[in-house]
Amino acid sequence: MKNNDQRSSLFWLIVGLAIAFYSRKYGLGTLPSPGPGFLPFLSGVAMALLALVVFFQQIPRKNDTLKSLWAHKKWPAVPIVMASLIVYAVALGFLGFVLDTFLLTAFLLRVMEPLNWKTVLAGATGATAGSYAVFHLWLEAQLPAGFLGF
Amino acid sequence: MDILANVMLGFQVALQPANLFFCFMGVLIGTLVGVLPGLGPVAAMSLLLPTTFHLSPVSAVIMLSGIYYGAMYGGSTTSILVNIPGEAASVVTCLDGYQMARRGRAGAALGIAAFASFIAGTLSILGLMLLAPMLAEVALKFGPPEYFSLMLLGLVIVTFLAGSSMPKALMMAAFGLFLGLVGMDIMTATPRFTFDIYFLMDGVGLVPVVMGLFGISEVLLNLESKLDREVFETKIKGLLPNRKDWGDSAWPIARGSVIGFFLGILPGGGAVISSFVSYGVEKKLSDRPQQFGSGVIEGVAGPEAANNAAAGGAFIPLLTLGIPANAVMAMLLGALTIYGMQPGPMLIKQHPDLFWGVITSMYIGNIMLLVLNLPLIGVWVKILKIPYELLFPLILLFCLIGAFSLNNSVGEIGLMLVFGAVGYLMKKFDYEAAPLVLAMVLGPMMENALRQSLIMANGSAAIFFTRPISLGVALLVLALLILPMLPWVKKKRGVIAEIIE
Repeated sequence: MKNNDQRSSLFWLIVGLAIAFYSRKYGLGTLPSPGPGFLPFLSGVAMALLALVVFFQQIPRKNDTLKSLWAHKKWPAVPIVMASLIVYAVALGFLGFVLDTFLLTAFLLRVMEPLNWKTVLAGATGATAGSYAVFHLWLEAQLPAGFLGF
Repeated sequence: MDILANVMLGFQVALQPANLFFCFMGVLIGTLVGVLPGLGPVAAMSLLLPTTFHLSPVSAVIMLSGIYYGAMYGGSTTSILVNIPGEAASVVTCLDGYQMARRGRAGAALGIAAFASFIAGTLSILGLMLLAPMLAEVALKFGPPEYFSLMLLGLVIVTFLAGSSMPKALMMAAFGLFLGLVGMDIMTATPRFTFDIYFLMDGVGLVPVVMGLFGISEVLLNLESKLDREVFETKIKGLLPNRKDWGDSAWPIARGSVIGFFLGILPGGGAVISSFVSYGVEKKLSDRPQQFGSGVIEGVAGPEAANNAAAGGAFIPLLTLGIPANAVMAMLLGALTIYGMQPGPMLIKQHPDLFWGVITSMYIGNIMLLVLNLPLIGVWVKILKIPYELLFPLILLFCLIGAFSLNNSVGEIGLMLVFGAVGYLMKKFDYEAAPLVLAMVLGPMMENALRQSLIMANGSAAIFFTRPISLGVALLVLALLILPMLPWVKKKRGVIAEIIE
């Protein structure tokens, strides 16, 4: 395993093969009357073949290691923010839009560059009230109400 | 005059108060996302798509188009004042625009960028008016084999022009094609790859995928590398270019408009490529090429004209063939289909109010943009100074609400987050998202065309090579696939990729 193209192409090779394999279940049909699995099968096969091309292409590059891709000091921000978004989605039905949104924005404002609490509270309140007004009251989007009823 | 009557009809539609309002909202939001680095027109359009469901289709398309060409305008402001392109299409504007600003000519640079965009935008709308109806007539003669070949050609051109390696871009196109096919098969009603998840029955939603790939992943990358933005501190004065500026810029604007319009019709990064081509052409033709890069006004005027003209040209394949030329047009196609309109050669005849209304609204939108961008430039500079720490929670929040309100389902948020992570990793490993999105939209159309062609030909794939138009297109596809393997083309593509990076 020499470079990141090879690492990533292995992943896509597996995806392509899986697509091609599952497509057969749906029926490939015949050429005069192609079935539901026909084009998915072709796209899976194409992916797998292209992944092999990328794997054996061997384009030499400097510093092409997995570590070099995460050289930025602030990379932990990515999993933290992602996790908070997942929690938001899971808690949305229970907490309701208003409470959930307030907690998320407050967390995001505080976690990246520790702003002072006054700014955080003002920002989170403003963002929650503003988005509620625009999306719920004006555009009439159905935002979930939680156990508190809003 | 047929055209004159049509233009009148267009203005009647576009000048209705509601449509004027949505046109204004579109160009306003477009300028905003153009100014803000890290949020592009594709993400903005997908964010706003759910909110347009209760508008009339004409108003919705007017607004969504406004976001697109408005972003082209706004992108130049960031390039000139901060030396960070707000949009990929305004990368070149950084070269001379920022240097002009450093020499105290920020006003003239912003002014000529706005005027060049306006003139080119107007010219390309004229081109669109003249060319689109003619092309639509021709396209009426196309059958499924021609459509299949053309869509394949579109995908191959996009991957050919992709900055990264062509096999990787093709791989993303194949994956996008697959994603487009998930859900109920139209012909046999078989659910494909749904794994009994209810909301996948209708297929993988375009909006959550695009928001993930272009919105969430972009925020994640920005958080990690933390954009350092230093707005150029200068009093912006003299927005009106002087007589000499106009003399220097007139021909570059004219040439940029033509280059942009025709390159914009081609699938792929029309706006990006054409701005580079225009810069190159101006440098070649100039009697002072050595000064390019040190703040010459032609280096701003030409590319800015080109990227705006390309935005107009890009509408042609969508409105005449129903084939989107880039990810933005793919979003518009998705929108039109949601409103129950099938873009294609019949669109102009069946919905003249939509076609001519949208085109004339682009003309009105260009005037609005001129007003928004010149006297109000100070407002945009202020917005540029908002720190990213305050901005990114809002962007994420809009994405979350946008995804949820599509179907009032948390599942769509989940889908968006998955593609946010995928998009983040794709950027890290140098895969392009544009071919994926385009292929995803084309997927169901390509499948239909392929099946119909094969049924027509009783199972013989020769049908793609025996009909003259389809044969010509198929040969082009083959040429584009083989060309990159030739050594000298490989070198040239490498150079393009380097410039774009």
